[in-house]
Amino acid sequence: MSESLKLNVDRRGDLAVIYTEGYINNQGGEEIAKTAYQLIDDDCKVLLLHLGGTKIVNSIGISILIEIIEKMIEIDGKLAFCSLTPTIEKTFHIMGLAQYAGIYADEPAAVAVLGAD
Amino acid sequence: MALAAPNWEELESLARREIGDRAYLERLLDLWRGALAASGAALYLDREEDDDSTTHRYLREVVAGEGPFPAALEEGDEGGELYAYPVPGGLLVARPDGEAATEAPPPPEPLTLLLASALRSLDLRQQLKRQRFRINYRVVELESVYEVGLAIASTLDLDQLSEEILLRAVSLLDARRGALYRRDGEMYRLDRIFGGEAREIFSGDDPALEPLLSGRGPGPDGLIPGAKHLLAVAIGTGTRPPGLLVTGDKESRHGVGPFGVSDRRTLSLFANQAAIALENARLHRQALEKERLEREMELAAEIQRQILPVGAPDLPGWELIGWNRPARQVGGDYFDLRRREGLLTLTVGDVTGKGIAAALLVSTLHSALHLLLDRLDVGPELVTRLNSHVHDSSASNKFITLIVAELDAASGELAYVNAGHNPGLVIRRGAKEAIELQASGLPLGLMPGGSYRRATIPLEAGDLVCLYSDGITECAAPDDEEFGMQRLIDCLVEMEGAPLGEIVACIDKQTQEFAEGQPQLDDQTVVLVRRAG
Repeated sequence: MSESLKLNVDRRGDLAVIYTEGYINNQGGEEIAKTAYQLIDDDCKVLLLHLGGTKIVNSIGISILIEIIEKMIEIDGKLAFCSLTPTIEKTFHIMGLAQYAGIYADEPAAVAVLGAD
Repeated sequence: MALAAPNWEELESLARREIGDRAYLERLLDLWRGALAASGAALYLDREEDDDSTTHRYLREVVAGEGPFPAALEEGDEGGELYAYPVPGGLLVARPDGEAATEAPPPPEPLTLLLASALRSLDLRQQLKRQRFRINYRVVELESVYEVGLAIASTLDLDQLSEEILLRAVSLLDARRGALYRRDGEMYRLDRIFGGEAREIFSGDDPALEPLLSGRGPGPDGLIPGAKHLLAVAIGTGTRPPGLLVTGDKESRHGVGPFGVSDRRTLSLFANQAAIALENARLHRQALEKERLEREMELAAEIQRQILPVGAPDLPGWELIGWNRPARQVGGDYFDLRRREGLLTLTVGDVTGKGIAAALLVSTLHSALHLLLDRLDVGPELVTRLNSHVHDSSASNKFITLIVAELDAASGELAYVNAGHNPGLVIRRGAKEAIELQASGLPLGLMPGGSYRRATIPLEAGDLVCLYSDGITECAAPDDEEFGMQRLIDCLVEMEGAPLGEIVACIDKQTQEFAEGQPQLDDQTVVLVRRAG
């Protein structure tokens, strides 16, 4: 299992879907943050993090995700997650991420809500 | 430097906002910058993220005016082109408009106090946030330990469980890498890995193992190549525990470092739960394997039951019976009674060993014998061909002893070939002794080719033929004495004239009584033929 995180971005107007594959740790989190901040600079207001390819997240990765959520709130944007493993979803709920970011079962479910806003 | 008078009206308006609000801080800092006639100003928060750190590290939070200001400052970095003003919980930094004076000008006191107060509020908020984060993550740790406990009851797939345990361990400890080893005899073998390579196998006697587990050494060479810091705990107990959980390089926002004492406690707690889960899964796998073997054995036994004849063919003027009891579910003894017009072929064989391997060879023998009997009479050619077939299709340590006889029902002549089997017995009517049908060649499968001889013996009315396996004559008493051929002959003589079923029952009863309850160690087979009259 690779330790490095791979990212793919699909920009659809105001919405951008970031697909992750691998460990969301310090390095992986920074990669996501770099991509997210670049999208924000490009006037993207809605981010969907698709974690279907991620089985593991550590506390550093979570703290970076929280920073991205804070940044999105600052710009009146929105961030959501989809396709989480049950373990990661539970962790996000405990860590409070679910209070500020939507969590959806899969991409169509997320896009149906985010796209409708 | 001239100090600008503060705009009290604006300050009053700002003060109505929540202290620590970022916009409030930005405006206040800009006022502070103006009062100092500085070109730029920045507010830094003191962040002591690492518990063992003694150096203050300041992180930039708010900037006003012209920069640049570094994102982070270590204690002692300040100075040079910048003026720095320590305040409780942080640092105010100003960039002078022009060349910096040797000494920083005094800060505007009311504004500095306001800024310090707001900064303190921000600092407390952030501390609260960090504490909440730590508490929440502690809950995640406890949840993980709890869930591995639950997995004991719900997940019995050993591979899935190993992966779950390793991923949770790496995640909980903020490790960058990890490996799970399982004991395989004297060695520890890599079972799961995360984040790169790890050593495949190492000895449980490796002197570097104990220091690693007690946190006093780096462990066996190349355990996780490239990892600077390792933490390993035993999964299970004992001098050679059943498994090892190894994590490498603890992450922080600044890179990687060693694991702390609390990490060892967390990982140990986790490993204790994991030990029970893994042991349960291992036992479950063993039970499944046993069940699979039992199903295979039952299938093999069924095949063998279909190979061995049920009942005996009807041959006017002759009585026939065949009887077999395997020592295990599947045996290595074989017998066959086959009628071809006026001929009856009697066969008794014994494959070395027992169980599935022996049963497969019995099946091979059965198929080959029936194919050959369609074309050949009982004689040297038939047995030589059987020998070649068995030799070519069995392991070098497997062989079969065999006696095959052909009875001409009309003439009463019995022709036979004995390939290394126990001598067949013929008891003449009224006789007290037996005629032995001796072996004329080696057992089947020992050597290619081979030389066998056909012999014949005429049978008269009342004469009894007994073919048997060594499970009868080598049946042992508790003192290891064998039942022997003489006791078998005595039984046959004593039961002269009795129905063949009763003779078989007598042999069975006598061998069992002789064994005095000892378990049957070898398969037992008896075939009896008697000429009526």
